[in-house]
Amino acid sequence: MSPEIKPEVASAIDEIRRAYPSSEVEVTPDPDGGAYVKVSNLHIGSQFNPATSWCLFRITFQYPFADVYPHYFVDGLQKVSGEPQPQGIHVGNPCDVNGVNHPATMVSRRSNRLNPATDTAALKLQKVLDWIRTQ
Amino acid sequence: MKRYTFSISKANYDLLHKHLFPGDGDEHGAVILAGICETANEVRFLAREVILAREGQDFVPGRQGYRALTANFVAHLSNRAANEKLCYFTVHNHGGSDSVSFSQTDLDSHARGYPALLDITNGGPIGALVFAKNAVAGQIWTRDGIKQLDQMKVIGKNLKRLFPKPPKIAGINAAIYNRQSLFFGSVGQARLARSKVVIIGAGGVGSIVSEHIARLGVGHIVAIDYDKIEDSNVSRVMGSRLWECFSWLQASRLPLLKKLGIWLATYKVDIAKRVAKQANSNVKFEAIRGSICSKEVVEKCLDADFIFLCADSMQSRLVFNALVHQYLIPGIQIGSKVPIDTRSGSVENVFAVARPVLPEASGGCLLCNELISFAKLQDEALTEKQRRQQAYVADPLVKAPSVVTLNALGSAQAVNYFLFNHLGLFNETLAKPGYRMNLVRENSWTTVACKQNPDCLHCGSGNRSIYGRGDRASLPCPN
Repeated sequence: MSPEIKPEVASAIDEIRRAYPSSEVEVTPDPDGGAYVKVSNLHIGSQFNPATSWCLFRITFQYPFADVYPHYFVDGLQKVSGEPQPQGIHVGNPCDVNGVNHPATMVSRRSNRLNPATDTAALKLQKVLDWIRTQ
Repeated sequence: MKRYTFSISKANYDLLHKHLFPGDGDEHGAVILAGICETANEVRFLAREVILAREGQDFVPGRQGYRALTANFVAHLSNRAANEKLCYFTVHNHGGSDSVSFSQTDLDSHARGYPALLDITNGGPIGALVFAKNAVAGQIWTRDGIKQLDQMKVIGKNLKRLFPKPPKIAGINAAIYNRQSLFFGSVGQARLARSKVVIIGAGGVGSIVSEHIARLGVGHIVAIDYDKIEDSNVSRVMGSRLWECFSWLQASRLPLLKKLGIWLATYKVDIAKRVAKQANSNVKFEAIRGSICSKEVVEKCLDADFIFLCADSMQSRLVFNALVHQYLIPGIQIGSKVPIDTRSGSVENVFAVARPVLPEASGGCLLCNELISFAKLQDEALTEKQRRQQAYVADPLVKAPSVVTLNALGSAQAVNYFLFNHLGLFNETLAKPGYRMNLVRENSWTTVACKQNPDCLHCGSGNRSIYGRGDRASLPCPN
């Protein structure tokens, strides 16, 4: 039987589904009541190869009081121009999902002034996408 | 038999009291929407919201009684109670001062209306409170029958207790408490003996708190810590002995002996229990070898009268802050810091602090005062492997400096705060709000004002806040 996801985490996932209706949202519960969430088919910018990727991140059981980061994208993400990766993008940095490594590119964007009352996982995902699209 | 009690913040009580007793000698009404906390011995209602009934609009001349709440008012709020999983209490006042009871008219109106209200609110419980100036009586309707309210606690700087009539409390006159009873009396001593206090963390700070409150005569102490004593703790943990660290075994190169040494070392909570029992052989001491972050442990804290936070993880701060606001339990967070500049090695501002946290606006909420780091909170949920993969620089083996005398400063301040709060000894007008920070290197104190975010999910009044919800909301603990 899979572990139960906490209600606050479940609400966050529902909000992500509503915010990205054309993406598949896969949810893998973690043992503590949080979840790993993978949102597919996200456009990250034609300056990247590939230009579309999934995004995988963990919403911990402490949500909304814990920040949601880092975010993981398809492994081997490269700039089409051949330029070096911008700071904050780490190729070949796998995502550990319940003890199993998944090859990925890590994007680490910590929220410095998190407000649990207003900052949601969906909003954070949008901010990360907005950032990566400008790199 | 279970006791039925009601907890309300001083701010909400003052709002209600001013409405019920404006000086006109007349009857007034209100509704309280309350959370609930059910434990083995007690059902505690927690005032989440006070809604005042407007004269002539919500509170009108009654058909069968003197005054009544209008059907619209009752319908609106009982539906809210049902939707928000809260308990619905009607409130009105009578004359008089130190004792109060329901009139026959009141009881008849309960019998007419409450069975339906119980259904509308999905089994409630629901009830009624009637106030005199310094007294309160309550009738609670549950699916298992009608219960009477034992007491109401007003949680503020001073804890105030209200009863239907003045209780007869047998004081405690034991010789060992003679000198302190000269200050707060044998009845105060009896109140300490009846109190249940939780200490989160039994290390350098928690061990001092534990011994102090045991010596004060607190009757029931719950100490929580998952850690065992090590030789580097002995200088700070009260009552600890070097031999019970078994460090000579742990230093062995043989893995089996090393494991044996770890197994034999004493748990910090067991040391705290030993010391407490030496101070007060009558104390009921629960030594919990575990973490406040676990659901099974936190359930033992829900009916506490006071919580000391003597542990430093962000997760323990989050759970503590949730307990204070969700269950309306006053508490205090204790800490000291010896910051060292990592480049120069020089010691910066050394401080010791005890931060009271009361369940009300500007009551010292750790979230509002930015004392819970959301980044560190997320880090604490990761495994060691995940932290390494995310390339964290912080070396978990680096310990912050810690000194017994600095711990004692914060601990003594905190225990005094508990004593004065619990026995109502603070001067209401002169006692300053905020918390005192001892700036040790400057040989001075400063008072730090508390901030409040009205949208706060712990102490705020918004729909998403957990304030006063008790068992009807989940605590921020892992499964």
